[in-house]
Amino acid sequence: MMPKDRKSDIIVSYVLIAPAVAFMVLFIFYPILYSIILSAQTYRLGFRTRELIGFGNYIELFKSADFWNSLQITGIYTVVVVIASLVLGICLAVLIHQRKKTGMIWQIIFFLPVAATMAAMAIVWRFILDDNFGVFNNLLRALGTSGADWVRNPDTALGAVIIINIWANAGYTMVFFLAGLANIPDELYQTASLDGSTRLQDFRYISWPLLSPTTLFITIIMTVRALASFDLIKVMTNGGPLKTTQILSLLLYQEAFQYFNVGYASGIAVVFFVIVLALTLVQMRFDTRIHYQ
Amino acid sequence: MKNKNCWDYLSTVFLCLLGIFMIFPFVLMVVTSLKDSKEIMITGLNILPKTPSFKNFVTVFQKTLLLRYLFNGTVVVISILIGQLVVNIPASYAFAKRKFPLKNLLFVAVLAALVFPKYIAAIPNFLLLSRFKLINTYRALILPSIASPFCIFLMRQYIMTIPEDFFEAAALEGCSIPKLLTRILMPMIRPAIGSFTIFSIVSHWNDLFWPLIVVNSRSMYTPPAGIVFFADAEGASDWGAIMAAALLTIAPLVVLFLSNQKQFISSLTSTGIKG
Repeated sequence: MMPKDRKSDIIVSYVLIAPAVAFMVLFIFYPILYSIILSAQTYRLGFRTRELIGFGNYIELFKSADFWNSLQITGIYTVVVVIASLVLGICLAVLIHQRKKTGMIWQIIFFLPVAATMAAMAIVWRFILDDNFGVFNNLLRALGTSGADWVRNPDTALGAVIIINIWANAGYTMVFFLAGLANIPDELYQTASLDGSTRLQDFRYISWPLLSPTTLFITIIMTVRALASFDLIKVMTNGGPLKTTQILSLLLYQEAFQYFNVGYASGIAVVFFVIVLALTLVQMRFDTRIHYQ
Repeated sequence: MKNKNCWDYLSTVFLCLLGIFMIFPFVLMVVTSLKDSKEIMITGLNILPKTPSFKNFVTVFQKTLLLRYLFNGTVVVISILIGQLVVNIPASYAFAKRKFPLKNLLFVAVLAALVFPKYIAAIPNFLLLSRFKLINTYRALILPSIASPFCIFLMRQYIMTIPEDFFEAAALEGCSIPKLLTRILMPMIRPAIGSFTIFSIVSHWNDLFWPLIVVNSRSMYTPPAGIVFFADAEGASDWGAIMAAALLTIAPLVVLFLSNQKQFISSLTSTGIKG
């Protein structure tokens, strides 16, 4: 028999966590399980038929050219955005770190796109890249080359949204690298400079190796962030032209909420979930390695 | 020495060029919002308005429901924030300072929920909300976001650093749990609450995905959904007015950022786990 005190203590603890657990079960855990169940059904909103078909949706999914196209675009998009934001972020951080007086101003400038509402900024970018009176084409014409309809041309649309996503994320990675640099003791650089080390050598032999845990951490967060991007592409291209920018989140949105293909879309959601889960497991593996070094 | 100057010069040029690239859309948005619609159509590189006027802002307020969108957005982000704090702080206190059966298992579930992307839950949440006839209501925009494993995680980390003595002393004095939470705990975790507040406001004010799913009438749009609707359907290439609306949409967060830069940056990044 437990002492009475202890028992009421436990009850109090459960009362404290109950609301949070209830919300998480209702809006996170139950939906995930239900998604898996839905993905095994033929289910279209507005239709009466709804039957269990096992892996039918997945078979259809893996046969669909749209799905493979979307997976490929998501891959290209994610890899380019992650690498470019990382490289740009580390360059910015190294340059800004040296500027003690103006550092904060530079940080504000580069972080501004992170703070601004992406949907609104995507519209501004649409205006900049507009075929007829966009500033970018005007500039190109003034320089003597002809412009293009960047967002509506299948050859350039993906490139355009990638560059704008880099614009939106460089400041984000920069801040992490700045925090990483701030943790490297100044003495290391002072000692190195006594030995006649150049800036490039400083970076190569001091900053870069000591930043490696930061770099790894940011690679993972940026990957998840890029995989999850939706707003920018939804507003700028809506997946077009010719599905050249149809990343996975957008395919899911369109199948589920435009065509109401609930079963099929749930299959996409599950695939999406598995990809993110796999990435997280990789991250955890790397994490333990760093700590034990 | 000469080498050093050269490097400084080059790196400054590099920073300035990139800085211009970063700032340019904002500058263009502001100047275009002050331009006459005919002037915008004239091709050229004259970025500055000839005769700046606030006509576009008048148009936006007369022709669109932007005020309504801003009001909706404010109601939604504030309700979500209050809901998240009220629901999750007691739980984070229990996870940080109390012992109870299954605690570790439940906390692992919280950590797992932290990494789930929002897309996986979207379809069932939509079906659930429509079953309860909540589509197109504030509740549909608010309720799913109140579940916040991230809030639990962040608060718990912070509460764990508070020495045991405070809680023991409170218990000895016969302090009730609600009083303990509101009078002792809340003031002590103010920095964590501040950090989470910025994170929560930014992510929900900016969100376009969820409002597109659960809202289907203009009067319920939040600012991001509203501005996209304006640009795609209503605005009909009236770029001056569209830019004015975009400016008003981003203004609250930009003001919050500029008045609070350091905390803003650290809150959006210390919380980097959840992008």
